[in-house]
Amino acid sequence: MIKGGKSLVSSPPVFSNDAKKLLVCTGCTVSIFSTSTSLQITELEGHTALVTSVVVVPAFTPSSKILCYCWTSSLDGTVRYWDFSLPELMKTVDIRLPIFSMVIPGILSQLAETDGKTPNLFAYLSVENTKIQDDQPKVHRKILKCNLTKSRLAAGVILAETQQPELITISSSGKFFGVRNKRKLHVWEVIAHDHEGAPIKKITLHHTKNLTVFAFHPTERIVAAGDVTGRILIWRSFGRRTFSMGDGLMNGRAMNNEDERPGVRGDDDADSCATWHWHSAEVKVLSFSSDGAYLFSGGKEGVLVFWQLDTGKKKFLPRIGSPLLYFATSLDPSLSSVSCSDNRIHLLKMPSMEILKSISGIKLPCSFPEIYEGLHSRFIFDQTAGLVAFRTENYCIQFYSLFDDRENFEVQICERNHQPSDDVTVVVTLMVLSPDGSMMSTAETKFPEEGLGGLVCLKFWTSGSQSKGFILSTIIYEPHRDAGISAIAFHPTRHMAVSSSYGGDFKIWACSHEIQQRDQTLQNSGWTCHAVGSYKRKPMTAATFSADGSVLAIAAETVITIWDPEKNVLVAVIGETLEPITMLSFIGKSEYLVSASRGSKSQLSLWSLSKLSESWSYKLQAEAVACVMDGSYFAVLTLLPRSSKHTELTETKIDGRDGAILLFNVGEPIPVTTWFVKKAKGGGLAFIHVNSASFKGNVSDGKLPPALLAYINGNHEYVLFNPYNLEAHEPSMVVREKPVGIEDETGKFGYASIYGALPEFDAKRNQTELAPLLPSEKPWETIFCGSSHNLPPITKLCSAFLESLLEKRTPVISD
Amino acid sequence: MAEPQQALSRTFPVKPKLKAKSKKPSKTPESKYWSSFKSHTIPNLISSITSLSFSPATPHHFAAAYSTSLTLFNSKTLEPISSISSFKDVVSCASFRSDGLLIAASDHSGLVQVFDVKTRTALRKLRGHTRPVRLVRYPRSDKLHLFSGGDDAVVKYWDVAAESGVVEFRGHKDYVRCGDGSPATMKINHGKPVEDVIFLPSGGLIATAGGNCVKIWDVIGGGKLLYSMENHNKTVTSICVGKIGRDGGEGSEQYRVLSVGLDGYMKVFDYSKFKITHSMRFPAPLLSIGFSPDCATRAIGTSNGVIYAGKRKVKGEVESGLREFPSLGLMEEPQRRVLRPSYFRYFHRSQGEKPSEGDYLITRPKKVKIAEHDKLLKKFRHKDAFVSALSGKNPENVVAVMEELVARKKLLKCVSNLDTEELGLLLAFLHRHSTVPRYAGLLLGLTKKVVQMRAEDIIASDVLKGHIRNLKRSVEEEVRIQQSLQEIQGIISPLLRIAGRR
Repeated sequence: MIKGGKSLVSSPPVFSNDAKKLLVCTGCTVSIFSTSTSLQITELEGHTALVTSVVVVPAFTPSSKILCYCWTSSLDGTVRYWDFSLPELMKTVDIRLPIFSMVIPGILSQLAETDGKTPNLFAYLSVENTKIQDDQPKVHRKILKCNLTKSRLAAGVILAETQQPELITISSSGKFFGVRNKRKLHVWEVIAHDHEGAPIKKITLHHTKNLTVFAFHPTERIVAAGDVTGRILIWRSFGRRTFSMGDGLMNGRAMNNEDERPGVRGDDDADSCATWHWHSAEVKVLSFSSDGAYLFSGGKEGVLVFWQLDTGKKKFLPRIGSPLLYFATSLDPSLSSVSCSDNRIHLLKMPSMEILKSISGIKLPCSFPEIYEGLHSRFIFDQTAGLVAFRTENYCIQFYSLFDDRENFEVQICERNHQPSDDVTVVVTLMVLSPDGSMMSTAETKFPEEGLGGLVCLKFWTSGSQSKGFILSTIIYEPHRDAGISAIAFHPTRHMAVSSSYGGDFKIWACSHEIQQRDQTLQNSGWTCHAVGSYKRKPMTAATFSADGSVLAIAAETVITIWDPEKNVLVAVIGETLEPITMLSFIGKSEYLVSASRGSKSQLSLWSLSKLSESWSYKLQAEAVACVMDGSYFAVLTLLPRSSKHTELTETKIDGRDGAILLFNVGEPIPVTTWFVKKAKGGGLAFIHVNSASFKGNVSDGKLPPALLAYINGNHEYVLFNPYNLEAHEPSMVVREKPVGIEDETGKFGYASIYGALPEFDAKRNQTELAPLLPSEKPWETIFCGSSHNLPPITKLCSAFLESLLEKRTPVISD
Repeated sequence: MAEPQQALSRTFPVKPKLKAKSKKPSKTPESKYWSSFKSHTIPNLISSITSLSFSPATPHHFAAAYSTSLTLFNSKTLEPISSISSFKDVVSCASFRSDGLLIAASDHSGLVQVFDVKTRTALRKLRGHTRPVRLVRYPRSDKLHLFSGGDDAVVKYWDVAAESGVVEFRGHKDYVRCGDGSPATMKINHGKPVEDVIFLPSGGLIATAGGNCVKIWDVIGGGKLLYSMENHNKTVTSICVGKIGRDGGEGSEQYRVLSVGLDGYMKVFDYSKFKITHSMRFPAPLLSIGFSPDCATRAIGTSNGVIYAGKRKVKGEVESGLREFPSLGLMEEPQRRVLRPSYFRYFHRSQGEKPSEGDYLITRPKKVKIAEHDKLLKKFRHKDAFVSALSGKNPENVVAVMEELVARKKLLKCVSNLDTEELGLLLAFLHRHSTVPRYAGLLLGLTKKVVQMRAEDIIASDVLKGHIRNLKRSVEEEVRIQQSLQEIQGIISPLLRIAGRR
């Protein structure tokens, strides 16, 4: 059982005191990365839901810099205290409300330490009150106060109520904290000796646009806020009136005349408000430098802007390549980090704005135009090396190691500059790896501008030296005139590939590599068209080679055409399905072919090549199909139907489990095992071959499984597990460990619960015997045999004869 | 991850689409050698070039016989040096003596004359042929005799000094057209009228050209036909022996037969392997060929008065001149002054140092050259980038910029922003390139859009109207081509259908 693929950018990262470690919230754990090597050191495991914030206990003396304590909060409703150098859990505070954000002002101020006795430590939490039902009109996202020392909520203290769960921002001195609430900014002052019932004073700053992010100046009373239009507002000397009253100085009235407060709205408590405007879209990142001289801002453009606070002069770090999400400064003034929405954290060397290292997580799913959301296009697996490849927004393909849970390399597919705010006009529509992982083929589409200049492009790549990256071998412009490419498949053994198009033809491409070996002087090995074929001008929607490469199966909408790839001869036609087939695959070395079609009448069918007929089919919406290379198993990821009348099924559909993985053996239509999974939409499946070097997992009986099943959900989180082990022993392994998004069921129950819901199942299941093309008996051949006086009267014979004919036809019609 | 800084700040300039590479194997060293002759044309000679002969002596001038004159050309500069025009009829053949001082020429009146190359005076006139003389040839090394042959079917061997014939060969039954000197007699039946005959350098083989084939015969071995090269489509008019120079790769210092024909092809034939090694096409029927003995010049004469002369640089030619430095006394060693920081050169000291054997080289990163339009595209100044590409020479770049603009959805906006002058630039570009097959997919659509969008501006300006007229013409021409192509397709497709059925 290997898990991975967590998002690194779900919450802001935090530096440790010595700035040698970076604490990043990754799902329900906190991963600790080294800033010098950008590799993961250790993990804090304990939370059972998403960790939302990390607060490192700061050090004020140089000797205490090595202390590694932190508080974490999570959606599971607990706040935990860790020593993250060991790592060890030291304390758990159970709030029983999902916490979206937490700040602890007490530990930031030096006062707390100088005190002889340990004072109560208070945290301010942004929580969601789950006990109140949604139909009540009351807002139930609150900012609460919590006494961490006594592990309880401060009674009756509700600082604010917001529509959305908000991130609490705190000043680095711990004196102020605040939240944004639509167009308002609430700021509270923390008083020095906090106690549970202490009154907390609050001011509100107003703006005309929705605010997105804000930051406090480290030393002065300045707050900067960004809004959705890209403006940055800077309020200076906020809260002089309200907050200073607590100190007994009643000089607030002096600032009351309106003329001397430029830019300040209404009765807001600030001296002045300046506006800076550079960003064209909303500001997502706002942070002051530790000395307070600079302000960093960033947003969707992927440009980090350094503002000189006094003059408003700008410096830029451009071409980060994806929208920025968080910016974190460390106590070491030369190091800071910026988190990007492509799941990457860059460590910046500060004054020179250089990127020292990058921590790359798995690429998050990015939105592509709907028409190009093909079945095979989302990810591809390198089954032998245990890699998975994702398309990224900047026209790259990221290869991610499933076993190591880190990025291996990236391949730039289109040589284009990517601007995060631009419209998508070029899309990598398809990517396919050859079975041995040495070749790759990609297809890209450039959208036309008002009918001008669209382009479809097919590229072939060969793997570079030491399996690092791929080198472009051949580009084919408009391989099928202007029609889009629907599928690409590689020959399992030879340098051959097939591409099928919606334009109604397919082309077999051959690489001249083999010729090159004989004649060493020829250096350029390229792919050239070997053959072209079409079937009734129907759009070709899927293509696959058999395991030995002797048979090529291509789906022409609803029928499957079988070809000899060498001679380019049509061998047979099998069909047909109700909807166009989107996926075809041979199952191992067996004679069976599995097809999946999508649409209103989506269907999963198994075809026998020896009988040239359908073996069985289900009415299922298959998200992905994976077949073992050498075996007879195949797994299907399917989406559960939305409206299920069976209570049995809804019971199992707890916690948003919307999909199921079914493991089939080729011989029988009953799934061997079933697992229910979360976020199956946009997910993927593959069997990954295991070599003992890469897999040192928890195989209890010592022998390695032949292949692991990898499941990737829609958020690109993945899990690897052994599908065979479960049926052989008890399925306890998966149950106990409770991987994210996966809960297993024993096969029989899962099967019964699902297929009770599907009415067509029984009707279609046993069609093997009634195969229309191979009738078992032919009554019209024997019915008229024998001497004429023995024959029944012609009226009787006729009806029997016609019936026999009709009988043969019925299954075909009902199909 | 190793170079995050590079990965981030990387920018991609717009690139034109790649061209398809030819599937043919790359040029062999030999065909590289033959195509390394830089082509020059010497035009405006009257009538067809009947004969070309190179001087065997070192400047290797060559004489071209055409009409009633014989012109000497310098083989280095390819300029005419002198012209001999004291002929009464068309000059048929010319031949240099082995030392290159005398040249013998024959004409259709039956006269053979021997000229001094320098003074151009006719030293000897050899009368004896009654019909047009087709052939005159000095033997390889003999300076005193020459032989000639003509339409009277007689080959005469002359003593030049005495102006008298020594021997007459009357073995021919037809017009004598050509010949080469070597003491042997043999009767060979080529089958077609023999246009040219040469002895190959080995001496034992002869090559004959006739009809559309070149045949190689073994003279010593009893006149056996060794090979017949039938690669020309029309009559082979002339052959000569060429040599691959010293720098011609593996096959250097080898001899080849060069043949030219009326089909306009020059073919190089390797007679040891019996293989055509190079083929070259010229736009006119070719009549004569000559190849200089130093492998530096090749001349081909056509039937319409043009000489295609090819010249190649011979290595070592330049160096020889420089070597001869006279070592007169002791050269004074230039005194080296010690560099001080007050000198400007102090700061440039040892920059020209060459790396020694074991040094580890750290090369300076190459400066990336960014084209003007790329700079402008980086600044999002789309129209300026478009205009800058249009005013450049390279149509590929223009199309690449257009494609980039399409990807940014800015092309039509750019078109609508062009002022009249820039629009003229665009229309001129479209006129030139919109029907080129590689660009037509984009440019034809764009042309239509441009004309639609800017109709009013075009009507207002006369210059733009002119561009539109040109554009219309090229479009009409393209339509005509398409129609004729469709006709051809109509003819061919039933044939293919029938062929496929078998």
